[in-house]
Amino acid sequence: MRFEFKFPDVGEGIHEGTIVKWLVDIGDNIKEGDSLVEVETDKVTTEIPSPRTGKVLELKGDAGDIIHVGNVFVVIEIEGEDSEKSSDSQGISDSIDEEDKKKELDEKEEVVEEETAGVVGEVVASSEEIPPSTEGIESPKEDIQTKKVLATPVARAMAKDLGIDINTVEGTGPNGRVMKEDIRRAKEEHLKPKVKEGLENRERPKTKALVLEGSPESEDLYERIPLTRIRKTIAEKMSESRFTIPHTTAMDEIDISKLDKFRKTYKEILKEEDIHLTYLPFIIKAVIRGLKQLPEFNSSLDELNEELVLKHFYNIGIATDTERGLMVPVIRNADKKSIVELAKEISDISTRAKNNEIDLEELRGGTFTITNYGSIGGYFGIPIINHPEAAILGLGRVVEKPIVKDGEIIIGKVLPVSLSYDHRTIDGASGARFINILKDLLMNPDMLFLKS
Amino acid sequence: MEKYDVIVIGGGPGGYVAAIKAAQLGSKVAVIEKENLGGVCLNWGCIPTKTLLTTTKLYKDIIGSKEFGIEGIDTFDLKVNWSQLLKRKDGVVDRLVSGIGMLFKKNKIDTIHGMARVINKNEVEVEDKIYRTEKLIIATGARDLYPEIPGLNEMEKSGNIIYSKTALELEDIPEELVIIGGNIYAVEFASIFNALGSNVVFVQEESQILENMESEMAKTLERQLRKDGVKFVSNAKLKSISEEGLVVEHKEKEKIFKADKYLISWKIQPNIKGLESLNLNKDSKGFIITDENMETSIKGVYGVGDINGKYPLAHVASSEGIVAAENISGKDSKMDYHLIPLIIYTNPELASVGMTVEEAKEKGHDATVSKFPLSANGKALSEGDTVGFIKIVSDNKYGEIIGVHIMSNHSSDIISSAVAVMKLEGTVYDIAKTIIPHPTTSEIFMEAAFGAIDKPIHM
Repeated sequence: MRFEFKFPDVGEGIHEGTIVKWLVDIGDNIKEGDSLVEVETDKVTTEIPSPRTGKVLELKGDAGDIIHVGNVFVVIEIEGEDSEKSSDSQGISDSIDEEDKKKELDEKEEVVEEETAGVVGEVVASSEEIPPSTEGIESPKEDIQTKKVLATPVARAMAKDLGIDINTVEGTGPNGRVMKEDIRRAKEEHLKPKVKEGLENRERPKTKALVLEGSPESEDLYERIPLTRIRKTIAEKMSESRFTIPHTTAMDEIDISKLDKFRKTYKEILKEEDIHLTYLPFIIKAVIRGLKQLPEFNSSLDELNEELVLKHFYNIGIATDTERGLMVPVIRNADKKSIVELAKEISDISTRAKNNEIDLEELRGGTFTITNYGSIGGYFGIPIINHPEAAILGLGRVVEKPIVKDGEIIIGKVLPVSLSYDHRTIDGASGARFINILKDLLMNPDMLFLKS
Repeated sequence: MEKYDVIVIGGGPGGYVAAIKAAQLGSKVAVIEKENLGGVCLNWGCIPTKTLLTTTKLYKDIIGSKEFGIEGIDTFDLKVNWSQLLKRKDGVVDRLVSGIGMLFKKNKIDTIHGMARVINKNEVEVEDKIYRTEKLIIATGARDLYPEIPGLNEMEKSGNIIYSKTALELEDIPEELVIIGGNIYAVEFASIFNALGSNVVFVQEESQILENMESEMAKTLERQLRKDGVKFVSNAKLKSISEEGLVVEHKEKEKIFKADKYLISWKIQPNIKGLESLNLNKDSKGFIITDENMETSIKGVYGVGDINGKYPLAHVASSEGIVAAENISGKDSKMDYHLIPLIIYTNPELASVGMTVEEAKEKGHDATVSKFPLSANGKALSEGDTVGFIKIVSDNKYGEIIGVHIMSNHSSDIISSAVAVMKLEGTVYDIAKTIIPHPTTSEIFMEAAFGAIDKPIHM
């Protein structure tokens, strides 16, 4: 029987992905769970496992092609099931007795679970957003096998003239028929620099195509590189934040000499347990203290309903530099974790982010973000808030600096911090207070342990 | 107090269709009607006039039957029995009206008889009883609007001023009939009463009938009506009316036309009595303004049919009624006024959809018009119909059909295929390659399509 595997809905508003490379060939015998393809979505690059065991009949699309959620992209010949039975909505033969039916149903449920787990393990964790594995067999009206798109004669002719793939155009006519207006619109959208849907409603300066001097463009002088999906997402997220949130940034230097001493004491010991103790877990602890004391820093502004949404959970995003660009994996319920647990989790997620092994789920649900650009270099910065969060803490490079203490100049370890916050909901005084909390706790790590 | 999800005021083709659709989609519905279900269309408009037209056509056919090989009919005494004709008309109307009653019963729609007075958007009073509703659909329709003619009010008392409704309640066929015409129904009445034997004088302020229709078609029809004996007085200024007759200024001279009856079919005005308290937004002529969801300026109050002044056509009213009912039932439904067919029921019929070539060029289309005459069509010829033609207006870029105008018998039926093709953005190429059965009058559609591409086959 032919099983049509549709690109699963991985949630998070992801509608499409780009095929990076096929991991199987037509004719290959594959097992359920075997990776079929590497796909890059807005958020992650991932391998999509097969929901079934069988033989690959068709691979739809080549590397670089975009596949949409719900589109069939792999057709698998499943053994032992008669192709005529494909009309059976459950894919279950009438001839098999109840016992077998039940068994098969049970198995099916398992398959669903495994498929969910399989896809999810790589991409996403919310099982309710993944359509059941039987989707390729049921609902004949959604059958994309009949390739022919409903379209009017004029729409077809116009699409051909304008070089538009009519299969990609959403029809607004009765029963989804593609009308000439839809082709016109598609053409306009085609010409327009792409602005992600959903953000389009926001008022912001219109994007324009970049006009370079000395056209026609000389290939020697310029090079145009298409943005990767991840880069596009980053660009959109940054713009969304910058054009929505009036940022303000408070900066300060924190003398962490004591903390540094404390860290050094335990760093070596913990190293034996393969735990890499950085300043970051301590800073997270201090931040959480601040978030608890000043809850507006752990909030989101609901502009539509004119409400401030306070969050009673503390998920700290860690901005991570990867080869493909910025990623922000989230440490969940950071307030309930010990310094050591945090240290372990930080090295785990940042390694996995760098190796492109992060789950989509791990990128969701942050309430406050820390960006540690100082690990590379730099002192103060103006970090951009990870919308819809309310604030972000930037950490500069820790340096040795002369510090005046009790009238004497001594050498201290100084951590420069830059706190950007949403000035609509947080006043400057609160910003200063937040920094003071960080300062008190990080200057006196004893207090950090007493208060956390 | 009775409570409903939807109350529809007016049981015409806008209101009753809206009611049925809303009920089908699960609402508890009541329709308030002060006269008969079916409204003007079923009782005093579309349907009654068509029964009259059937008789006049039959009458004409019998008169000319000798040529068709029928003998033994004494055409000398041949005449239309007006009261029998009205009886048959009443029979047809009663059957259709009771049909709506059956549909209402089937869909559990309550009919409330009486004049509605809206208290607010959720309460309607009918004969001292108050009914509550969540949503309100106003489908009260329109009535004739008379031009201002000095003496008209006095003349009305004489009973010699008639309009569409009273024209169908006459005791006899008037010998002399003056029609003060302004809309398409005036032309239909001219055709009917002329065929029934009245001497018809058609007085109009315009220079020709049916100014908004494809002009060759309108002119051909006017010529045909002239040939049949209708006298046209165009570009006339209406000066006064009295027992002496209708005085008009025509070609800078005063003329007087005396008749037994004066039929006014000029313009329409909205029926807004009983809706005053709603204070709805209206246009300059008093019609209620509605949006693409058929909603008025008040949320939850809808306006369908003639009351919104958009297209005074039963098929548009029904379509609007369905849109209103769907929106009420939670579907996002929008009214599309693109491609509304218009029929003039005369002999022959005129049927139009889409643009004329003039309109197309005005809108910037590189347009072609292809004409094919009825006289080259076998079926029409065999039926003795030779007056008429089809015109296809197409855009040259893809050959898309953007207008179809047909003058012929059965054109009211033929036009539907044109509407369907245009709805699907079909081209002349699609129609030329469509196999149309022979012999039919519909073949003219295909022939004209070939004409638009290159040349018709049979010409």
